[in-house]
Amino acid sequence: MSDRALLEGSEAIARAAVAAGCRFFTGYPMTPFTKLLEYMAALLPEVDGVCMNAESELEAVGMAWGAATTGHLAATGSTGQGLSLMQESLSEITNARLPLVVFNMARGQGDYFQATRGGGHGDYRHIVLAPMDVPEAVELTRLAFELASQWRTPVMVLGDYYLAHTYQAVSVPSIEGAAPEVPDWALNGSSGGSGSAKIISPLGGGVEGEEGFDLGAHYAACAAHIQEMSAGVDPLVDIGFCDDAELVVAAYGSVGKFVRYACLRLRDAGHRVGYVRPITLWPFPSKAVHDAVAGAANVAVYEQNMGQMVEDVRLATLGAVPVEFIGGPSWDHSGFGIGPDINVPDISERILEAMT
Amino acid sequence: MSSGERELMLTGIGGQGVQLAAQVIAQGATVDGKEVLVFGSYGGMMRGGNTDSTVVISDQPIEAPPVLSTTWSAILMHHQYWTPLRERIRDTGLVLVNTSVFEDELDADRYQVVEVPATDVATDLGNPLLAAMVMSGVYGRKSGLVSLDGLAEGMRRSVPPYRSQLIEANEGALAAGWEMAA
Repeated sequence: MSDRALLEGSEAIARAAVAAGCRFFTGYPMTPFTKLLEYMAALLPEVDGVCMNAESELEAVGMAWGAATTGHLAATGSTGQGLSLMQESLSEITNARLPLVVFNMARGQGDYFQATRGGGHGDYRHIVLAPMDVPEAVELTRLAFELASQWRTPVMVLGDYYLAHTYQAVSVPSIEGAAPEVPDWALNGSSGGSGSAKIISPLGGGVEGEEGFDLGAHYAACAAHIQEMSAGVDPLVDIGFCDDAELVVAAYGSVGKFVRYACLRLRDAGHRVGYVRPITLWPFPSKAVHDAVAGAANVAVYEQNMGQMVEDVRLATLGAVPVEFIGGPSWDHSGFGIGPDINVPDISERILEAMT
Repeated sequence: MSSGERELMLTGIGGQGVQLAAQVIAQGATVDGKEVLVFGSYGGMMRGGNTDSTVVISDQPIEAPPVLSTTWSAILMHHQYWTPLRERIRDTGLVLVNTSVFEDELDADRYQVVEVPATDVATDLGNPLLAAMVMSGVYGRKSGLVSLDGLAEGMRRSVPPYRSQLIEANEGALAAGWEMAA
């Protein structure tokens, strides 16, 4: 059963998370992440879940890591700044093969590299989903928990101020459903002579002679798992009007919605422009991007940063089509990621310039 | 600006109920089964300061991003911060102006101006703070985007529990605005 309601993005995401079975949430307040923490704090007690205001982002990710080992669906989050503190843990949680959803309500788009490459040590990747608006965030939040459980990996949902604070009419599933059953790999407190002792560690684990004891073998297994995820997770992408487009514009997230709108209106005015909006930032929808721009004369990438996703677009197109960066950093006084340049006329103008 | 998408920008000074009016209209349209988007001002809303909001209503999934450069309609509760909005109103648009307090020229030849002495009407109803609800009632009927029942239910969803004693007065103000727009 789902109720249709006008919800702030942060509340819609919180409801979708609890509906997906999330029963543990923790974080440290920082705009524009704070509202999500507040809504989770209000909702989780209703379903006998736990939400904790941590003392820092380091503590938050540590608690979420611990909760994840118990097999209950856990989530944390912050802005890109807080995510900087969490990077070591995200690397370790990935290698420990634990499901965890991380909501990154970033300030602007300067943290694309941080989100998709990760700032932690080692040869790891995790899934990154970038919704453009509230209805899509509801759907991707459900998907994030599903993918986290399926692949036993951290999944990041990458949003921003616009997503966190825009209200939209959405259908959100009821939060009253039961949480998923605890999987059999989870730590359940039994040990000692019970025969049920387990270890879940980024270093593998187990005892000599058993699988997982050899660190090299563990790292090899982690690498194989990431390769399997890279090939096995369906890349998601939103493509419009690329068939006969002279110029294809690539953008992601909320800014992607501005760009998409600009392209739609330029189409209305007769300009042969198309758009491609990656939704999974990892795995990047390289083949879809490559195919979408195959007939175009040029590709333009618009980001609210100095040019980060543009590198993935260039890797996807491999020189087949010239790729130009038309975005740039844009900040207002608040520093929360609202950009004066992030408006349809200015974006449209840059698109038209790229067409000439 | 796509077919079927209708934008509303509201402007006023903090304390006039601009954010509440945006919520009531948006919640009302949601109750009526429409697709709706709302984005409010973010720069520290305070009593007496600048406050504005954008609402988009459609029968289809919303294409518009949260920040728009032009609008089909506007609600002007006060003139003090309205200058940035002035050029954003599209030709033939719908502009509701609170004539009780608004002191500036409007481009009446460019768009349809509906004069609403909202603060006076609200004062007659017993509370000048009801002006935004009067305006919302007029807007619902003039725009054809929200029903009176939708507005009333939207208002009940928007009013915080500590203001629940105002629900009846708000309903009266919505109805008064709706009647004025006949």
